Amino acid sequence: MSTSSGRPLSPRLQIYRPQLTSVLSFTHRLTGLIMGLYAVALVVWLVAAAAGSQPYSSVQTFIHSGVGQVLLFAGTWCFFLHLCGGIRHLFWDAGRGFELSTIYVSGWIVVAASAVLTVATWIASWMLSSSR
Amino acid sequence: MPMIIHSSSQVPRTTLFRRFPVPRNLGVSASSRIAPGRSWPAPAGARRVKIFDVYRYDPDSGNSPRLDSFEVDLEECGPMVLDVLLWIKNKVDSTLTFRRSCREGVCGSCAMNIDGTNWLACTRFVSETRERPTIYPLNNMRIIKDLVPDLTHVFAQYSLVEPWLKTSTVAPESERLQSPDERRQLDGGWECILCFCCTSGCPSHWWNADRFLGPAVLLQAWRWLMDSRDEATGERLDDLEDPFRLYRCHTILNCTRTCPKGLNPGKAIAGIKKLLLERRS
Repeated sequence: MSTSSGRPLSPRLQIYRPQLTSVLSFTHRLTGLIMGLYAVALVVWLVAAAAGSQPYSSVQTFIHSGVGQVLLFAGTWCFFLHLCGGIRHLFWDAGRGFELSTIYVSGWIVVAASAVLTVATWIASWMLSSSR
Repeated sequence: MPMIIHSSSQVPRTTLFRRFPVPRNLGVSASSRIAPGRSWPAPAGARRVKIFDVYRYDPDSGNSPRLDSFEVDLEECGPMVLDVLLWIKNKVDSTLTFRRSCREGVCGSCAMNIDGTNWLACTRFVSETRERPTIYPLNNMRIIKDLVPDLTHVFAQYSLVEPWLKTSTVAPESERLQSPDERRQLDGGWECILCFCCTSGCPSHWWNADRFLGPAVLLQAWRWLMDSRDEATGERLDDLEDPFRLYRCHTILNCTRTCPKGLNPGKAIAGIKKLLLERRS
């Protein structure tokens, strides 16, 4: 490899065309990572609730602020994208759904389903909170 | 529907981005950075000009790679991307270096990155390319010159799966026979031409080329696991059961999307994982 190491490495991520295959794989990884951060946020929320009304209300104020709502909405979408992508992976682990057209159909289903579930969750939560 | 890809031969049309929104030189060593190159005008009297951006690297110059643009007269040139490269070599710059042999998609020599995805230059129509096509060598390879990658490493990985018939029983008087059904198990594996379009387009192989075998080699591993005449299935599975060699495959499936022979390395790798799981239970 000594002669090889002096040679330039050809470009890869810098030039390879994004496709549904790679984009969904990367977003699955990324949303998994983000879910980890949201898990920490969830613990912060629970700890605040346990700590008393003063810390809890300040966390609640943040959640209900514009930034908080955007973050919560993004988090919901990350959750469903990762969940749907995970189910797609389970089919693959069972050796199913590897035809190219199936790969694309299931990929777009994941995108569409995550969007629908996110919006449905928010509508449901609005309806629940306003009926109370 | 253009959003659904039915065959790897379909050229992508609906992508939002032509490349990932990352800096051009993210993680790229100084000697691998691509500098702007020179423009090569078409010969006088050219009638239908199309500009191609082509990756160049001259090991003797001591310079880093560059991106040259060539004006090509499509009236004077054959219909395939390989014809364009040959036309450039014959008419414009004879130093342009690339591999080619069969010019009909059976040898795998002219595999390269055309418009951002890997394909054989001899089976990609110029009419299928973008307005201003880009031609790079296979991704994540050490480049010997221009479009010629050093395939030593991927062929070393290929030899690691011992791609030959292994038997321990006494050799029979005549050939080792197969039923038509047993023979059919090899379909989708033996057609591989080892062009390494899939391996070089696999993000997992980009990050772990030293230890992950990559789709092309794993497809061949699968081909020998499936061979009814082979008697080393257990050993082969032992050698593959490794967090890196096999399990760095995260089912991204760029491999299946890009295979110029329409094969399905992703499915084969899932098959290997399933065999290992069945063996354990």
